[in-house]
Amino acid sequence: MGKLDITIEICGMSGDGTIAAGGLLNTAMSRAGWSVLAFDSYPAEIRGFGRCVTRSRFGETKQIALEDSTDVLISLDDKQSLSRIPFLADDAVVLFDNKPSAHLAEGESIAAHVAPGMALYGAPFLDLASSASGSGKGRNLAALGALAAIYNLPLDYFREVIAAKFKSKGDRVVEANHKSFDAGWEYAREQFADRIRGIPIPGTAGEEPEKLLLSGNVAIAEGALAANVKSYFGYPITPATPIMEYLAGKLPERDGRVVQMEDEISAIGAVLGSFFAGTRAMTATSGPGFALMTELITHGVMSETPAVIVDAQRGGPATGLPTKTEQSDLLAAVFGGPGDSARIVIAPTDVTECYHYTAKSFRLAEKYQTPVIILTDFFLDNRVENLVRPTSRPGDIEDGNVYPAIADRWNYHRYRLTESGISPRALPGMEGYIFPATGLEHRQEGVPDFSPENHMVMSQKRRTKILSALADLESPVEYADPGRLDVGVISWGSSFGAALDAVNTAREQGLRVGALKVTTMYPYHAEEIRAFMSRCQEILIPELNLSGQLATLIGHLFPKDVIRLNMVTGIPIYPSVILVKIREIIGVQGR
Amino acid sequence: MGARHLVVIGNGPAGKEAAAVLRDKEPESRITIISKDHEGQYRPNFLPDYISGRKSLEQLYATPFRFYQDQEIKLRLGQPVAVLDLEERRIILDHKEVIRFDGLVIAVGGRPRIPEPLLVFQDLMYTLKTVQDANSWIDRLASVDSVVIVGGDLTSFAITRALLQLGKRVGFVFSEEAFWPQRCNDQILRAAAAKLAARGVEVVPGRLKRIVRHSETRFEIMTDCRHLEAGLVGAFFGLVPDVRFLAGSGLQIERGILVDEYLNTGFEGVYAAGDCAQVYHPELRDYWVSIGYDNALRLGRIAASNLAGGREETTVPPESLFCDQGVRANTSWWLEF
Repeated sequence: MGKLDITIEICGMSGDGTIAAGGLLNTAMSRAGWSVLAFDSYPAEIRGFGRCVTRSRFGETKQIALEDSTDVLISLDDKQSLSRIPFLADDAVVLFDNKPSAHLAEGESIAAHVAPGMALYGAPFLDLASSASGSGKGRNLAALGALAAIYNLPLDYFREVIAAKFKSKGDRVVEANHKSFDAGWEYAREQFADRIRGIPIPGTAGEEPEKLLLSGNVAIAEGALAANVKSYFGYPITPATPIMEYLAGKLPERDGRVVQMEDEISAIGAVLGSFFAGTRAMTATSGPGFALMTELITHGVMSETPAVIVDAQRGGPATGLPTKTEQSDLLAAVFGGPGDSARIVIAPTDVTECYHYTAKSFRLAEKYQTPVIILTDFFLDNRVENLVRPTSRPGDIEDGNVYPAIADRWNYHRYRLTESGISPRALPGMEGYIFPATGLEHRQEGVPDFSPENHMVMSQKRRTKILSALADLESPVEYADPGRLDVGVISWGSSFGAALDAVNTAREQGLRVGALKVTTMYPYHAEEIRAFMSRCQEILIPELNLSGQLATLIGHLFPKDVIRLNMVTGIPIYPSVILVKIREIIGVQGR
Repeated sequence: MGARHLVVIGNGPAGKEAAAVLRDKEPESRITIISKDHEGQYRPNFLPDYISGRKSLEQLYATPFRFYQDQEIKLRLGQPVAVLDLEERRIILDHKEVIRFDGLVIAVGGRPRIPEPLLVFQDLMYTLKTVQDANSWIDRLASVDSVVIVGGDLTSFAITRALLQLGKRVGFVFSEEAFWPQRCNDQILRAAAAKLAARGVEVVPGRLKRIVRHSETRFEIMTDCRHLEAGLVGAFFGLVPDVRFLAGSGLQIERGILVDEYLNTGFEGVYAAGDCAQVYHPELRDYWVSIGYDNALRLGRIAASNLAGGREETTVPPESLFCDQGVRANTSWWLEF
């Protein structure tokens, strides 16, 4: 048997319990020792209007990307699930409710579209749940039970996670859900006795620390908590809102607070004010909110005031596609706003990095007295990975402030010119360190000064400061054999996993390719990127934006045109797409 | 007016052959095969050799899925029919999907027959009709070294041969009335028993009375004159047409679906073929059933041809039919043990 790697999808209408079922499945599989990478997509509307899909990839080794083909589809609503048919593997398993409440015209059942070679399992989810628990609400649990039976998955894990999920609603609710799950399991064991497809359960080694399921958003919030953030100021927006929701539950326990502001402008204003006063704060938003923040972000640049801002990208422009993923805010994050307003922009590529990069961002913001923008996207924010609980790395979360020397007391120049560009920063209330703070151009003392010479000097100072941050920012990471490469794939953000997956496959196929992970978007490590490029015949940059924003940002480092692979489909890029492109560049056909 | 929708129920040799002929004769029609089986079309007569390892899984399958795709025949596997409504000319599948048709060939084949007195022991006996059945045999044979065969149809001899090839000890509860259908007389029975015994099979005459399960791999088999022990019991009493879902459809059903010599059921555009059909013989003025792969292919071809407007008769010489338990039968194969 080959390496275990299975992608399971649950599809239903809003309100079918699709996302809940996916969450339970992910948790149970994680407990069983599987590596989990899962992603939900759902409509922008609150309820009852659209398709919900949970997509989970399980394997023995760490999963870094979603696959484009589905091995198992659980249909909770055939009308919605028909759209998933093109993604089914040739030998896919399809579970569906074979006792719908009404007759269906030909073609309306998913059974009509299942190709020969796939395996169809029909079970009366609704009837089973209704009979077992007195309510059809548990039909998603009945479906999970059937899945567990067909794949011989350990019942205890499912029963435990069901109990944990519903315990806050009382024993009767837990019992009802257990009954629905058991009904599905028993039905499948009996009806599909000769079609059971047991798969080995990896199990967990005795000394291996327990893994937990974390989404990118929760990891960001946990990273902020690890950095001892005191305040969150925000305005709700998909896909960033879960960060606010999570912190709203956690911060009050730590004498912190979450404040919902009237809009994003006031949110970034409050964050700047908090940092100005010496207290760590953050905000999170998405493209439309980020656009509103840009003027005050540049105020932070000019006044050299720290801030931590998460831009959880979604399909744009404008209101765009609220629940679809995209990586099209990169240039806005790096360059958005008036004037030369260099700031630090970092982009984690997985959930673990979401935690660490956020934790570190506060120190970076303090040390370099600048807004730090953490660029994520819908896929990274909402995807779930199981991992050992991350803990902050030494040096990441310490106070990053560079305080003025005693000798400067009463003679303090807030924006004193230094070799690094970093001027010691006093906090309000520090006696003898009074300074004007303004968004106007200013001299070293902070007094406005619009003279050409001063603007030149101070602009250069701020730029030097940001470039000096490279010493503290993550270098690009190469995944390649030494020597010449036919294709080098450079990728960032949530797309990196797919890029690395494709490169790994290509290397297994004997192709000379490599990957470079870039997480420091600005300032970027030009020399390291150039060194990688110099080994490559061609550079491929796959991105979820139309113009190729990373390619635009760093493409000039390569002596010829980089090859852009751009998608704005609202869904994550799949490894297979990148692999096909790699093979096309090299001149090899097919996947 | 859209293209005709021609539906075939069953994906065995008769059903698949009917669909292929329909496609040939009606290139513009929409053709759908509906099968309750989850497997593709396989050769049941290869199953014993599959169990013994002489045939691979790939060799079992007679028609690759690519065939249906190329012929633009929609194949629905694992989708049992719940209701056949001939008045409205529609099929309601078990999952409540309604399929309308303009023409229909019913070719659902047979299911293993267990004689009524033995139904109480049904769960203790293995049958062999599907690939899944064969896989069950393979799984169980891995942990047993002896098998008792009860019954005595065509497949029983093939499975016995397969078991001997696997080095298993075989007992055969062998009785004249257990053979169904067969061209059987005392002389054939004695010859068959002698051949079995010569190959090392313990032949036990008499009727099966009782089976007792002592453990997963230990069964006690009692006939009216002997007690046997074995790790597995196989039941081989022939097949019966699998037409229970047609109850209430208006079709005339005895041993199978009664059809005229053109395989028409009496309803316009509705035909039956293969093991599930009981075919009128104008010369004998009686009905007969067909057994075997080649017969199924032939009947499937004729049914489709007639549905497409032909007028082909099923011609079977009276002398090639034999009679058993009141049923005339024709078999296209007979295994020489």
